[in-house]
Amino acid sequence: MRSKAIVLGILAALCIAAPFLLTGFWVRLITFTFMFAVLASALNIIAGFTGYAAFGNMVFFGLGAYTTAVLMTRVGFSYPPALLCSAAVAVAVAIVLGMLLLRLKGHYFALGTLGAAEAVKYIVENMTRITGGGQGITVPPLRGNPATINTFFYFMMFGLLIIILVVVWRVSKNRLGYAFKAIRANEEAAGVMGIDTTRYKITAWALSALFTGITGSVYAYWFTYIDAPTVFDVMWVVKMFVILLIGGAGTVWGPVIGAFILETISELVWSRFINLHLGILGLIIILVVLFMPRGIISLVSQGRGIKDLIPIRRSGAQR
Amino acid sequence: MLLQAVVNGLLFGAVYATIGIGFSLVWGVMNIINIAHGSFIMVGAYLSYTLYAVAGVDPFLSIPVVMTVLFVMAYVIQRFMLNRVVRSSVFITLTFTFGLQILIANVCLLIWSADYRSVKLPYSSAGFQIGGVVIPLVRLAIFAVALILTGLFYLFMRRTKTGIAINATALNFEGAKTVGIDVYNIYAITFGVSAALAGAAGCLISPIMSINPFVGGPMVAKAFVIAILGGLGSTIGALVGGMVLGLVETVGTVFIPSSYQELLGFSVLVLVLVFRPQGLLGKRFY
Repeated sequence: MRSKAIVLGILAALCIAAPFLLTGFWVRLITFTFMFAVLASALNIIAGFTGYAAFGNMVFFGLGAYTTAVLMTRVGFSYPPALLCSAAVAVAVAIVLGMLLLRLKGHYFALGTLGAAEAVKYIVENMTRITGGGQGITVPPLRGNPATINTFFYFMMFGLLIIILVVVWRVSKNRLGYAFKAIRANEEAAGVMGIDTTRYKITAWALSALFTGITGSVYAYWFTYIDAPTVFDVMWVVKMFVILLIGGAGTVWGPVIGAFILETISELVWSRFINLHLGILGLIIILVVLFMPRGIISLVSQGRGIKDLIPIRRSGAQR
Repeated sequence: MLLQAVVNGLLFGAVYATIGIGFSLVWGVMNIINIAHGSFIMVGAYLSYTLYAVAGVDPFLSIPVVMTVLFVMAYVIQRFMLNRVVRSSVFITLTFTFGLQILIANVCLLIWSADYRSVKLPYSSAGFQIGGVVIPLVRLAIFAVALILTGLFYLFMRRTKTGIAINATALNFEGAKTVGIDVYNIYAITFGVSAALAGAAGCLISPIMSINPFVGGPMVAKAFVIAILGGLGSTIGALVGGMVLGLVETVGTVFIPSSYQELLGFSVLVLVLVFRPQGLLGKRFY
């Protein structure tokens, strides 16, 4: 336990020192990795812990980004209230969509969320007056020199990551987390045990949406330009799922480990083969699914041997 | 105008049925949502385009070739890769087929570039009129071929030993194993047949639609709607679902501005899921 605390302390110190030691390129890259770690952790709450494969989670990212962008440009909000509104919108939409879609299970839920996300994307794209339509929308940038701005967003994402990790860690240890896991393991049984499954599922998704929406808002302020095809891109969710698979779904640290591994691979490989960029992502997905569907973390935490990495013809894993 | 839209919708609905049947077969038998199904259609369309552009083969004649190629490709994918994880969670198989879709799209992008391609048939403008409604010959032929394929598939599932084995495996995996069915081989055949039908659909759409490496995604959404509308694994259901989707799309264009077209498809998807997840005919399995 103590050695764990020391490792965490060293990691945290490195993360805090990093933006002052590294060049802008690396700072941005790590910021981006933090962002994916946050998004994957948020997805982990609904998909990893509760067992609902929310393939449409980008809807909250997109809505968070657009809420901030629209409020800042059209209404003249400053950033902090716009951020709060983004969070509120994401949670509200999650509750409404959750009431409709969380009755569905398995594939039906996954595809239902995907359909809802695409539908929202087209609505946003067609509200040209407000959202700028296909032209996207430009957010008033933060003033200051580029290095300071880089550092600012680095710490925004880092802070967000710390917060979500603490939340997920707390949740995984308390009633809420046990309810989520019970739902994942066997929803009927959980219901019989007196868990109000609908309420807990909506809570899980709203929590997931809260962080996804906030991340979207930070992204909009950071990139200063957003358009619907980017911020509602399904590919991001796919990447998050891959991160969860690499790192280990339903664990606190899995998404962080997964995000760092995937981003490292992407830096090493994709930047050199720009034409094969997506193809290699596809290949990684296939290989990860085939050879380590339980995630790297399962090796560490449960002391599994290398042969357990090779699956599972009939592991009746969670549904 | 409305009548024309109805006719167009029904004619194209048969192609949708071909698309939906394969998708719903894989889903019904193996509980896999094959996100790459759209990519199989796209590959079929590209092969048909290439055969036409290089050797002048009519898309209708290239159907058997394309179906064979896709059958083999999908059989290999299922046999050597998907079978390893097919019995695990939804989460895993869904992610796998997503990866497959991305990979196929990228390969197509490298081979055929991002330009829109379509087959320009010399007889593409031929057609006739009945009571003010224009019926293009190509679309009629596409309709007929799609119906024939659907009929053949129906017979395959009912009359052949392999088809019955597929049904048996879908109904009871352990039971099928007990009576000596090589279930993993059946899985591979199922995936192959599904891809072959997708390939045929690709050939059929190549003369009337432009394709590029990114059309796979929207196609899957449609296949999903058709499968849901018709009920899992039901051939007749897929035919009904395909016709309904064709009608909704074409009749929709009469009343709704074209920029909302895509929205319409996805809204139908969500609404059907929420209100009628058991399908229009309310029947599951065969």
